[in-house]
Amino acid sequence: MRLSWARALIVARREYLTAVRRKAFFFTLIAVPLYFGGVMAIATRGEISGRRESLRALTRLGVVDSSGLYSGATRVIVTRMATDPTSTPEKLETFRTRVEFYPDQASLERALRSEQIPQALVIPADYLETGKLRRYARSSNMFSQGSAVRPIERWLVRNLLADHLDSTRVERAVRPSVAMDLYTLGKDGRFAIKDDRREMLDFMIPFLVAMLLAMCIMVGGQYLLQGLSEEKESRILESLLCALSAEDLLAGKLLGLGAAGFTLVAAWMAAGLALGSPMMAVAQVQLQPELLVLAVAYFLLGYLFYGSLMTGIGAVTNNMREAQQFAMMFSFMNFVPVIVLTSIMAHPDGALAVVLSLLPPTAPTAMMLRLGTPSSSVAPWQIGLSLVLLAGSGWLVLRGAARVFRIGLLMYGKTPSLPEILRWARAGK
Amino acid sequence: MLEVREVVKSFDGRAVVNRVSCEVRPGEIFALLGPNGAGKTTLIRMITDILRPDSGEILLDGHALDGKSRRGIAYLPEERGLYRRVPVIDVLVYYGQLKGLSAHAARAAGLALLERMDLREWAAKQVQTLSKGMQQKVQFCTVLIGEPRLLILDEPFTGLDPLNTQLFEELLAERRAAGSTVLLSTHQMNKVEQLCDRALMINHGRMVLYGSVRDIRRQYAGHAVMLRSDRAPEAIPGVQGVEPLDGEWKLLLEPDATPQAVLRELVERGVTVESFAVAALPLEDVFVKVVREGLGLDHGESGPLTADEPAKGGAR
Repeated sequence: MRLSWARALIVARREYLTAVRRKAFFFTLIAVPLYFGGVMAIATRGEISGRRESLRALTRLGVVDSSGLYSGATRVIVTRMATDPTSTPEKLETFRTRVEFYPDQASLERALRSEQIPQALVIPADYLETGKLRRYARSSNMFSQGSAVRPIERWLVRNLLADHLDSTRVERAVRPSVAMDLYTLGKDGRFAIKDDRREMLDFMIPFLVAMLLAMCIMVGGQYLLQGLSEEKESRILESLLCALSAEDLLAGKLLGLGAAGFTLVAAWMAAGLALGSPMMAVAQVQLQPELLVLAVAYFLLGYLFYGSLMTGIGAVTNNMREAQQFAMMFSFMNFVPVIVLTSIMAHPDGALAVVLSLLPPTAPTAMMLRLGTPSSSVAPWQIGLSLVLLAGSGWLVLRGAARVFRIGLLMYGKTPSLPEILRWARAGK
Repeated sequence: MLEVREVVKSFDGRAVVNRVSCEVRPGEIFALLGPNGAGKTTLIRMITDILRPDSGEILLDGHALDGKSRRGIAYLPEERGLYRRVPVIDVLVYYGQLKGLSAHAARAAGLALLERMDLREWAAKQVQTLSKGMQQKVQFCTVLIGEPRLLILDEPFTGLDPLNTQLFEELLAERRAAGSTVLLSTHQMNKVEQLCDRALMINHGRMVLYGSVRDIRRQYAGHAVMLRSDRAPEAIPGVQGVEPLDGEWKLLLEPDATPQAVLRELVERGVTVESFAVAALPLEDVFVKVVREGLGLDHGESGPLTADEPAKGGAR
């Protein structure tokens, strides 16, 4: 391969500046975090406000007690709910529900129909034996009505036991545990308290790194496809290839557009860290330097692998639409570990996780997920082998792509078949 | 300057360029001719090192092509384009830098070229805002920037109005005067006659004509002279036939007769000679004749041709 770094850097600079100056770049930079942030905020707020509305609407509960167990039950249900998950200490809102007893189901239904009560509960005579209850409402919303169930259940338990136990025991029966710390065996051989919140943050960092890495590879790859398709469609390449070699052009594009993708993701990461750092500070989360080094290594090698692949695809296809169809199949491999995320987290040292972290197309994302899973203990040889396999295959794909690139760039009109592409990859000029 | 020696390039088992040899001398304008699909573009791509020959070699100043020599070559392909959403000057700076200029020098050279093309005020505009003809001029600037020693131009005059055609010709003449060599591939035979010193014509990947443009034209015209006179010459020794042609007389000479001897006879016999020239077939007719009749050079056993050899096609 004859490569002139001076010319490759000229290409890289141009590609980088062209990519980051585009309106689409700025739009992606701002719109993607806004979109995901917005979706999360709407989902969280929506869920909380749904529960809140449900409790607020439950001002009265009509009860027909055929069992006779609740004749002396309290006439008020008091529910406390945290309405702002971000506030520390928790901000609680109190909701009160008046319990009204009806002599029979007919009068209960009348009250419900005339909107005197929003919900009703029928306690059958055999409730103690069967545990079966009937709840009535004028309408139902599967996403919000469930919020009213827990206060009703607690009222049932509390009033069932009130005559038999003291108030403390009744409270424990209603809520058996306010906190149940789990102590697990650590890597140092000692049992230590398992801090779910801290553990989640510990996991979130490699998880985010894995996700960002996957996105960075995808974004860089998209830029490569876009740039190449544009150059192919506008017939720029032939005059360019007289001024520099295909290898110079390929290396420059990989560098410049990879840097553009990295800039995008780095900006998102910086914004994420700035917003998330107070929470990380409270949880005393520290970024492990070796994990960061590995993240950078996996990013560079993963990008080399996918970037080369995308370049090859861009070279052999005739336009962006065609290029994206091909690219989608390969981009999908990058996200396979995310799809099987729960399996990797549940068994980070299992066969699936190990195989995915060794296979070059899935290695960057899968290995970062494994390394981030608290219960995993990835053997150093697996990390070494994974990096060697990724580097080796990245190099092979780069070489093949350079050959395909050189020939494919000047082919117009006809998309070559796979045997043709493989022949080009073996042949060269 | 440029030597192409016995170059072969095949695709899918079919020889697209088959044992082609030629030499392009320093400072000349050399024509590369041939019908569509003859293998011209493949040959150019090998000369520009975009493709490598299966066999044979291509030398620039006696050395194989490499990254350094590549900087001295500029290529204007027939299928051309520019980055559309980029300011004109940025395109030129990019090409200039790729040819080894600093960003500053590339900018200065780019602006000077735009000035020469009467496009100075368009420097900061995006390429897509320019008309097609203007874009073609910018494309020509990308070739000229960096003052390349070898310019390879594939159909450079297509789509140009007469004024811009003249401008391109002037620029070529300037580059030639500055010592650059030009390899011109075109189907506009009048431009070849007007601008080119020598030519190579290929058909089906094989050489069919090679030599000076003047010699090729004369040899395909047969052994004849063109005479402009007040009357038809009669019974001139050495002349075996006379044909009227476009207001002139075409005198077909006997094999051993020379134009000088015939001119002497005409003067001695009192014929008024308004003009007298060795007959030369228009290059377009030569082209059609060679391609249609499948004529070609046969240099297979005698080794590669050199530029000093006369065009052999006309002798057939």
